[in-house]
Amino acid sequence: MKNNIEIIKNETLNETIHKTILSNGLEVYICVRPGFTKKIGMFGTKYGSINNDFVDISTGKRVVMPDGVAHFLEHKLFEKEGENSLDLFSKEGISSNAYTSFDHTVYFFETIDKFKKGLEMLIELVKTPYFTVENVKKEQGIIGQEISMYDDDPNFNVYFNALRAMYINHPIRIDIAGTIESISKIDKDILYSCYNTFYNPNNMFIVIVGDVNVEDTVNIIETKVKLYEKNIKSEKVMKFGVSEPTNILQKKIEKVMGIYMPQISIGYKLVPTEKNEIIKREVISDLISEMYFSKSSKFYEIEYNKGAVSDDIDFIYEGTTDFSHIIISTMSTKTDIIQEDIFNYIENLKNNDIDLKLFENTKRRKIGENIVESENLNNSYRRIIDSILNESQLYYDLEILSNITIEDIKDFLNTLEYSKSVISIVK
Amino acid sequence: MKNIYKVNDNKFKSIYVSYNFTFETKKDEIPKNVITSLILSKGCNKYKTSKEIEEYLSSLYGTNFDINMEKIGDLYNIEFRLECVNKEFLPNKEDVLKPAIDFLYEILYNPKIENNQFDIVTFEREKSFILDKINKRKDEKLKYAVLKTEEILCEKEPFGTYIYGNIKDAEDVKLEDIANTYIKLIEKSSISIVVSGNLNGYDDIDQYIENVFKNKLEKVILSKELINISYKNRNVNEEIKEIKEKTQTNQAVITLGMRVENLEDDDFYALNIYNSILGGTPSSKLFQNVREKESLAYTAKSRYYRFKGIFVIYAGIEEINYEKAKTVILKQIEEMTNCDISESELNSSKESLISDLLEWNDSKISLAKLAYTNAISEKNLTIDELIDNMKKVQLEDVARVAKKVKVELIYLLGGEDSEK
Repeated sequence: MKNNIEIIKNETLNETIHKTILSNGLEVYICVRPGFTKKIGMFGTKYGSINNDFVDISTGKRVVMPDGVAHFLEHKLFEKEGENSLDLFSKEGISSNAYTSFDHTVYFFETIDKFKKGLEMLIELVKTPYFTVENVKKEQGIIGQEISMYDDDPNFNVYFNALRAMYINHPIRIDIAGTIESISKIDKDILYSCYNTFYNPNNMFIVIVGDVNVEDTVNIIETKVKLYEKNIKSEKVMKFGVSEPTNILQKKIEKVMGIYMPQISIGYKLVPTEKNEIIKREVISDLISEMYFSKSSKFYEIEYNKGAVSDDIDFIYEGTTDFSHIIISTMSTKTDIIQEDIFNYIENLKNNDIDLKLFENTKRRKIGENIVESENLNNSYRRIIDSILNESQLYYDLEILSNITIEDIKDFLNTLEYSKSVISIVK
Repeated sequence: MKNIYKVNDNKFKSIYVSYNFTFETKKDEIPKNVITSLILSKGCNKYKTSKEIEEYLSSLYGTNFDINMEKIGDLYNIEFRLECVNKEFLPNKEDVLKPAIDFLYEILYNPKIENNQFDIVTFEREKSFILDKINKRKDEKLKYAVLKTEEILCEKEPFGTYIYGNIKDAEDVKLEDIANTYIKLIEKSSISIVVSGNLNGYDDIDQYIENVFKNKLEKVILSKELINISYKNRNVNEEIKEIKEKTQTNQAVITLGMRVENLEDDDFYALNIYNSILGGTPSSKLFQNVREKESLAYTAKSRYYRFKGIFVIYAGIEEINYEKAKTVILKQIEEMTNCDISESELNSSKESLISDLLEWNDSKISLAKLAYTNAISEKNLTIDELIDNMKKVQLEDVARVAKKVKVELIYLLGGEDSEK
């Protein structure tokens, strides 16, 4: 069967993405990178830690799952009867892994010369769940240690506490891995229910990056996927969100961990937006971060000389159609001073004129940086996955950069309201 | 010119310039060198402040400039790095590489010195920055446990010092030390420069660099002698030390420090395979047993330090499982020593190491690193040669090096929280 392949070309990066949707609904993206030795294959589902409440595709009934189940499922999918997929890949000299985020889970492999083999193994990995009472129990010990590792990580704590202060009902408040208590409730039936629902082709995508032949790749995927498609349903999943108020839950969360260098995150809760607008906010935030918070900013120089910051100040936008916020974070032994200064500074930025020279110079910097970053194969798949999840246009980030105006920056800064801001400190 | 190395590949769009000062150091001299190079990177006569530097770099389409420190065994390397776009990919084909190289010259050889002294304010700032860095290394438990293992294992060697040095030595650095350290750094170090990436349209870049830096590049010490110091500096302990350290944490970390006796140049390939089989991949003995079989840990890995001939094994565990984890880990090492290794373990380790080597081709920074390593060790190994040598390793080669690996240290970073 001939597939209809859409070609998306970007002139700035001299890069091409091929896109097709298979008859079962599976989206396939291939970014060809001539001359590169490594090939990356990713198989993902639009299912992450926040999708706890949904209609089970097999029973048609609404279910609510324990926290951490998407991540648990990610771990367990590697386990097969009498063997472990991580081990199988590794024995072929192919490296593989997976990650779970708030709204998606991705399994991937990287190879130099075993692309076909790796791709077939990846599809098999995702398509053949094998959950048993024993292997679920075993994983509780391993994930328990993963949770403990994150519990000891100051960076992780300061970030999650900022989310917990901002969000009232939204499941983004919950650790991706769940808690030792919540994962103890997971059993094999729960895993199958989640798997059958979210790992259906209609909810999934494959992304390939590297020097590969497009037609051959699509054929391999199509042939292999078909092998596993008896008795499975492929349809849109009914997910239930929560209604999240625009106000914050609490102004401040402080945690004592006995660390030397306190960390601080300031969050500003925003009203979610969608599609290309999400990308636009990311690009604007990136410019703001560089112009006003980077080491070359006047603000940084002042704070540094005061001894109020000891490392970078990051200003990062995070958002989907479902949540939206800014997180400003840094390390400081003088958290009282830096938090007050950041709040005042943001208010001042709203009221002051934007320096046109600084703005143009920063844009110029970003144009160069985008080209340098595009060399990295990871950059290609990140852009594709972002576009799948946000339903945004591919390469919109590059297109919008040249069109951003001073007014856009100003408008965005004005959406940061002090009453919607929170402080998280770990010390 | 002898110490300028070029790596050209047109699949890249940008260019990486790495200017290295490699030198022999004593433990207490590390902070002086670190602070000196930080001061250099923060301003010179032409670009007076960080802000001026960054503004200039922005105008060069976001040319990236930073410094990186690394211990190469007992040697110390300070790398000043630039990353910029090849003119072909920029509007109006504007060249930013040559201005970036001129900029680097200003930073390195035209620093802000008045009356034989660097600026006191910058000095104080960078000194306190480094003190913070040293102090906060304890905040990340797993990394800290590994660092601590390196430190205890190589207590008497320069390598066994944190990358930014010890607290006390850093506290003792005075402004007066900086001017001398600077002179020593630029005059007594072995200098090597690597330019890698898309060098299309820059055939003469080595000539250009030579014209800019001129005699600064001349004083190159033969580094072969320097690099061999790492091998000579070893002291193998017969007894196994067991050390426990308390800290506020949920998870405990167990580590083992191991050293290779009578390390030889050619052992490099077999030792890498040894590491891969023991704890380098998900099919390794540590991953399969400590994690998959016994469910004791999420992280269970080993790392080989090629310029030092040591290994560090680390796993994040529950403290009550310390004895059990220790037994399981020691058993994996014993299997290695007894060469209880299957052909399939050997082959998959080779495959994964070969893939890693091939992947260097995709990164201009990895390619630059290879060129630098070749330069300081006066070798000229290509990726293909490395792969060929890796392929040649047989089970008996792994068995031979395995017998030379001795456990010297078992360390536990334990939790106060976990005792409750």
